Amino acid sequence: MASVEIMNAVKAYGDQQVLHSINIHVEDGEFVVLVGPSGCGKSTLLRMIAGLEDITDGEILIDGKVVNTKHPKDRDIAMVFQSYALYPHMTVEENMAFSLKMQKRDKEEQKQKVAESARILDLTKLLDRYPRQLSGGQRQRVAMGRAIVRDPKVFLFDEPLSNLDAKLRVQMRTEIRSLHQKLKTTVVYVTHDQVEAMTMADKIVVMHDGYIEQIGSPLNLYDQPANLFVAGFMGSPSMNLIKGRMDRSDPHQFVTQNGKVIRLPCPVDIDPGRELVIGIRPEHFEVSDEGTEFEVEVIEPTGSEIQVILNLGGEKATAAFRDRLPLEPGDKVRLGMSENGLHFFDSQSGNRLSPDLYMKEVSPEH
Amino acid sequence: MVRWQRGLWWFLLPSFGLLTVVLLWPLGYALYLSFFDYYLGSSDRTFIGLGNYVELFTEARLWQSFWTTIIIAFGSVGLQFVVGFALALGIYKLKFSARLFTMLLFLPHIVTPVVAALFIKWILVSNFGLLDATLLGLDITPPDWLGDPIWAKISVILADAWIFTPLIMMVLYAALQTLDQSLIGAAQIDGANAWQILRHIIIPALIPAIIFTVSVRLMDAFRFFDTIYVLTGGGPGTATETITMYTYQLGFRMLDIGKASALGVITLVVVAIILLTINKVLTRIYRRGD
Amino acid sequence: MSMIVTTEKALSKRGQGARKTAPGSSALLNRGQVLLFAALCIFTLFNLIPLLWAVLTSLKHPADAFTIPPTLVFEPTLEYHKEVWLDHNFVQYLSNSLIVSAGTVIISVPIGSLAAYALSRIPRQRSGPILSALFTIRMFPHILLAIPFFVMGSFLNLIDSYVLLILALIAINQPFTIWLMHGFFSDIPRDLDEAAALDGCNSWQSFRTVILPLARPGMTVAALFSLLLSYNEFLFALVLTGVDTKTLPVAIASFGGEDISSLSLAAAGAIGIMLPIVIIMLLLQRHLVRGLTMGAVKG
Repeated sequence: MASVEIMNAVKAYGDQQVLHSINIHVEDGEFVVLVGPSGCGKSTLLRMIAGLEDITDGEILIDGKVVNTKHPKDRDIAMVFQSYALYPHMTVEENMAFSLKMQKRDKEEQKQKVAESARILDLTKLLDRYPRQLSGGQRQRVAMGRAIVRDPKVFLFDEPLSNLDAKLRVQMRTEIRSLHQKLKTTVVYVTHDQVEAMTMADKIVVMHDGYIEQIGSPLNLYDQPANLFVAGFMGSPSMNLIKGRMDRSDPHQFVTQNGKVIRLPCPVDIDPGRELVIGIRPEHFEVSDEGTEFEVEVIEPTGSEIQVILNLGGEKATAAFRDRLPLEPGDKVRLGMSENGLHFFDSQSGNRLSPDLYMKEVSPEH
Repeated sequence: MVRWQRGLWWFLLPSFGLLTVVLLWPLGYALYLSFFDYYLGSSDRTFIGLGNYVELFTEARLWQSFWTTIIIAFGSVGLQFVVGFALALGIYKLKFSARLFTMLLFLPHIVTPVVAALFIKWILVSNFGLLDATLLGLDITPPDWLGDPIWAKISVILADAWIFTPLIMMVLYAALQTLDQSLIGAAQIDGANAWQILRHIIIPALIPAIIFTVSVRLMDAFRFFDTIYVLTGGGPGTATETITMYTYQLGFRMLDIGKASALGVITLVVVAIILLTINKVLTRIYRRGD
Repeated sequence: MSMIVTTEKALSKRGQGARKTAPGSSALLNRGQVLLFAALCIFTLFNLIPLLWAVLTSLKHPADAFTIPPTLVFEPTLEYHKEVWLDHNFVQYLSNSLIVSAGTVIISVPIGSLAAYALSRIPRQRSGPILSALFTIRMFPHILLAIPFFVMGSFLNLIDSYVLLILALIAINQPFTIWLMHGFFSDIPRDLDEAAALDGCNSWQSFRTVILPLARPGMTVAALFSLLLSYNEFLFALVLTGVDTKTLPVAIASFGGEDISSLSLAAAGAIGIMLPIVIIMLLLQRHLVRGLTMGAVKG
């Protein structure tokens, strides 16, 4: 068990810089998820922690010691690969015992540790099989077994669930999480799936194009996305982001690019005319006579809720309702929104505008 | 190289070390010797610069052996390619016993080349060879297959083709098996006939395999030695004397090491030029689409 | 839209066509197959005549071997097979051939595999030029290497020794072995190297315990080709060996090339040389084809 510290880490291939001065602090025993679209550099960063990629600049510390030039075998970390990377010519037992064998632990100890890990992961009956004789889910388990056998300082996971079908993925998500609660080992986990990130992480690091966009707890990221990228990336269906500006005369009104007016639940004090993006999560829409009129385009019932694709003068938006509203495509519907479901972003920088800018009481005569 | 894998450079050491000693150094030594007037066994070795090269280029025998090599190499590779491709297509189209045919047709290629050349020789040899004996039995007077300058060339080409056609067949057959069947299906739906399918779908898909086999075979053909040595020994006269054969005569019969080395170097350059040209031409055809 | 229509048309056309011509086309197909089969049979038989003729000759007494027209009816004898091996030193030549082949395979394949593994893990921009260089080296004329080997061998008094011939065969075999093995190692996922590194292996341990066991089929192919090359090689064997180390191809070339009167004996020798290699190759045919086609099919 150990902390992982990444300080001003840079990765470049020749002239091309793929990671820009990354700073992350992973507490001892923390479950940290690196999430972002493919090509954002999250896997590269994970491989730098593992020692499989060199660090161009900056430092990586495991358990307080700089490991920049250490061979992967000397870092005392275990990794679960996306492909599982099980040794095809070894049985499950040999796969799991391999690292202990390389450490020259004695046979009895190897056997006992493998048996214990196998019991935790429900692999006891499979110990004599070869990887090719296992299902995808079982292979995934063996890959984890191989990692936990050696009781490493840190677990690294590189998209471990992406080769599983949807149902198994949800199940394994829970299992990995409960395994972590049992073992309390530090975890750095890479995924492109924001649902995985939300459900598993103590702390999420959102990455994009080699930069960190935001670090925070899952709910923190969801409720207060720091910028447009995080706002759009976290949550499914994703947040509606509508470009426009505040009306010059009425602080209740937001004017979209197409000149349509959206009625806000409270007056807002931002320079009228300033280019803005407002963000509303689909579930924060509510039917209200005082709201803005949208046209219903498509209805998508998911069972637990209905999702409605809306049109406002060419601008598309998605709303999600728990109630089974009697809507038909082509209907007009008036929708309002709750105050705390409303986000403002600067359209130039994409950064979040902080709440005290706009939640101000407005005098009646204004 | 990633830090943790730097140890891999050591893995290259045994092989590349040995190659330096047994390949690069001797080749360099041969280049060095090509600038000397030097007979093996004699004690004096005189530096004569490009003397050996000048001598070689001004004598008719080099040019003759060069053209003989070109004729035999292109003749036999051409023949091998046409027959090999036809056989590959035939086996590919055949819906049963393809495995049996590949095995039987491949046999001549497995046989030790010297032995294979002897097999051919026993067919072609005067009077008692299978061919002569049969023709004589029918009261036909056969030509001297190995003794007539023109027939000797043809015999050598046929012998080389007998040994190497199976190789081309096998490579092209394997390449055909990787062909995307849905392409052919789609072409058939579009109303293409067998020839159009061959011309526009099968051949373009095989171009990489064709470039590979033709290049490899041509470079083999330029160092063509075993078959000629056994069949004709370069004769009659110098009718089937290829560059390699001539080099052998110079170096190991006349022990004129300097001149033989120079000829070897010339061969290397010629082979390189021809291969580069062929590669370029074929690659250009390939890039153009079909 | 228009694309959908054409596809539909094409499909319906094909449907009609298939219905209309179904019986005829399948008969045509069968006739085509039969013709093709017959043509291949004839060609194959014709193609095997030289081999079959040599087998027959090796079983003939001289009286039967030199008839005009040639005879297919004779009393077969194995006498010459026995004679060529026992009375003409072919057992000695076979042992020379085996020593040289074994020496070449045992040295060339392991060191070639090591190099090939490293090349398959080194970044492409570094390994690419090395691999092209190896491919280019393959095309040098062997005679150009035979000359310095002969000269140096004479100086060092190594002519007619196994060592010199084995070194020469490694030199011509090594680039091909590396190239072949590189293909096999490239097919083994790098994840396995990385998993092994994290499990505590250095490069040698990863190679030894994880990669090598997986590359065994590839090693078989490489060993097979090295064996084929060294067993069949003629030029170097001709100039570098002498009375003591003469290999089978050199022996049969001098034996069968000159004296036509001992035809049956020479044929028996030739068949004897051919048989072991043919049997091995037929047994390992799968590997052979894989090796032959690897370069071509991968492009």
